Amino acid sequence: MTIATLPRRTLLQAGGTLLASTALPTFALAQGAGNRLVVAADSEPKNLNPAIVASNGVFFIASKVVEPLAEASFDGKGGLAPRLATSWEGSADGKSVTFKLREGVKWHDGKPFTSADVAYSALNIWKPLQNLGRLVFANLEAVDTPDATTAVFKFSKPTPLQLIRNALPVVSSVVPKHLYEGTDIATNPANVKLVGTGPFKFTEYKPGEYYRLTKNADYWAKGEPKLDEIIFRVLPDRAGAGAALEAEEIQLAAFSAVPLTDLARISKVPGIKVTSKGYEALTYQLVVEINHRRKELADVKVRQAIAHAIDKKFVVDTIFLGYAAASTGPVPKNAPEFYDASVPTYAFDTAKANALLDEAGYKKGANGTRFSLKLRPAPYFNETKQFGDYLRQALAAVGIDAQLINADSAAHQKAVYTDHDFDLAIGPPVFRGDPAISTTILVRSGIPAGVPFSNQGGYENKELDGIIAKAAETVDTAARTELYKQFQKIVATDLPLINVAEWGFITVARDTVSNVSNNPRWAVSNWSDTALKS
Amino acid sequence: MRLLRDLVRTPEGAIGLGILAALVLVALFAPMLSAGDPLRIAGRALLPPFTDPAFPLGTDRLGRDVLAGILHGTRTSLAVGLAAALAAIAIGLCVGLTAGFAGGLVDEGLMRIVDAFQIVPSFLLALAFVSVIGASVPVVVLAIALGAWADPARLTRAQVLSIRERDYVASARVIGMHPAEIAFREILPNALPPVLALSAIIVAAAILTEAALSFLGLGDPNVVTWGSMIAEGRNILRSSPSLSIFPGIALVVTVVGVYLFSEGLTKALGGRRLEP
Repeated sequence: MTIATLPRRTLLQAGGTLLASTALPTFALAQGAGNRLVVAADSEPKNLNPAIVASNGVFFIASKVVEPLAEASFDGKGGLAPRLATSWEGSADGKSVTFKLREGVKWHDGKPFTSADVAYSALNIWKPLQNLGRLVFANLEAVDTPDATTAVFKFSKPTPLQLIRNALPVVSSVVPKHLYEGTDIATNPANVKLVGTGPFKFTEYKPGEYYRLTKNADYWAKGEPKLDEIIFRVLPDRAGAGAALEAEEIQLAAFSAVPLTDLARISKVPGIKVTSKGYEALTYQLVVEINHRRKELADVKVRQAIAHAIDKKFVVDTIFLGYAAASTGPVPKNAPEFYDASVPTYAFDTAKANALLDEAGYKKGANGTRFSLKLRPAPYFNETKQFGDYLRQALAAVGIDAQLINADSAAHQKAVYTDHDFDLAIGPPVFRGDPAISTTILVRSGIPAGVPFSNQGGYENKELDGIIAKAAETVDTAARTELYKQFQKIVATDLPLINVAEWGFITVARDTVSNVSNNPRWAVSNWSDTALKS
Repeated sequence: MRLLRDLVRTPEGAIGLGILAALVLVALFAPMLSAGDPLRIAGRALLPPFTDPAFPLGTDRLGRDVLAGILHGTRTSLAVGLAAALAAIAIGLCVGLTAGFAGGLVDEGLMRIVDAFQIVPSFLLALAFVSVIGASVPVVVLAIALGAWADPARLTRAQVLSIRERDYVASARVIGMHPAEIAFREILPNALPPVLALSAIIVAAAILTEAALSFLGLGDPNVVTWGSMIAEGRNILRSSPSLSIFPGIALVVTVVGVYLFSEGLTKALGGRRLEP
């Protein structure tokens, strides 16, 4: 057979194999293997147990294997779709919540799933070990299990059902009691080789290459999962994901694995779809953190001037290329339950900013500057670094000389959250569905130095602290929501920090993948209904 | 002057000198060629090159003028390159002269320190130094000099070892000159030429090291450098390759200029030694 008579497809495939052979020989031809979805993964968490590490990097892979009690949903009641729990109900005094659990669910090793597993996970893992569970279940005393499908959570202090509901998808991953009981939980082998109840079983992990999940034929939802296999292929280089999609080596790249600047080009490639849906419950906020120990920044007029100096439209259009929204306050628009639009806003107005600074008594010196500041942009995202470059210029326009300091993640966190060696910092905190477990920590006082992503700017406002403390134990949903609306007004008026923009991520997928982005936490949900058209 | 004439006679030297002179002029007059802060946001983002006369080389992701960045980047690159090379040669000369002239234990001790610095790859040393102390222009200069002083030190010592046995040094000793005077007035001037030829190579390496540090985000973020321009352009290499290409060309031209100059200098110096 000469080259000329080879079918073109074979030739292309051979070429693809050749190109990919150095990277990953086994899965170079994803489309040839029936119902297998190949996904780009950019990190390999050391501990994959979502009950211990409730972070997106872990959920991305683990959520297909280990399920929570409920998942976020666009149209479900209270924004939730049932998973391992079928219903939940809080008592009037806020001291107990009763979960009805799904019947006939089996662990991947064949043992039945019961309320004992939920009780064990809650008391031995979520409350003492999990980063977020510590906050949500701080007052959890006991979990009663009257029968195999009922779990009653008992709290020592009133705990709002609204908070638990909002946190359920993130904090409630259930792990099997029979594998963890009596072992050292932190070093249990099941933290890496996961055992869960989810639609996919954890089959194989090759460090630096891939994770392989295979279909759970005994899954409780009939007819699901629709895929036979999911491969998470490790592609740490962001530029690589776009090329791999075009070459059909992978079929899906979530969490903005394809850089924003590449989206305009890749969206024109036939067979590739770009969507920003499916991240509504994973909103990141672009925030200017302020060190109130600096006497200039302790003056609210100066903070207002800085807010007026920032052109949010430029930030959204140029830095985020439109894949973001301008912020009005500490709660993002994607949390409609809490979001309040009627707060003071700060339009881009350089003249007003200059006037406010003059009023505050910081006149321009002979060289055109009023004072100098240390500006530390967080290094985690390209966008936070670019916003740092932009903010320096925006502040220069109103006579504030900001000196940028770049550092790696560890040095940045130490400088800002432990040593307080900053005047302004740029951070990307995550809004986790409820203000009690996210945005309030950035303004509340009394947090010891060294807690990352918290108020380390020395800001103290008794009224605000009071509202946050009251909301933490207000059981009535409407009253609690009202408290958080007050909280937003105070933050937007007093500006302990400046919220600039909020953004989600982008999913890029081949158009053969169906049921993509159909819930607000899609990338970190179980993908049981995701299918591949051939 | 004779050295300069010899230098210009070699084709390498003439071209190298021409390029360097042009770069020095650009560096000196950068504020006049493009006024204001080169990092300021001047226009629409991502203008392609050669389309808008106000921005001949286009603009970057945030709308900063690429031409202004390259012009002002010349200052940073040359300043860092020259300062680092000067520092490295100053340290190297002092250490080499002391070691060669004093001999004995002092020589042994100093040379082991030189060994230690030669063993550590100079780029890693600079990387570690900058990430620990923090990125600013003086720190970057020091970090580069730290990795570059060992070569001139060794070369100086070798020169000194051969020169100090010459008759005129012996006679200087006999007439009772102070050892320091002998070292600086008799030996140093004669040990200098080969070290100077080395200096151009150190400048070129320093410019590249500075660009690499900036590329990795360890340059001073408050000044524009070619390395940081290339790094920022890298993210959008496929849609706007010119953002990386233009500063890349500037870097190549500079380094080639310095290398040609050094080649010419070596030839000119070598030729002079052959003359009767």
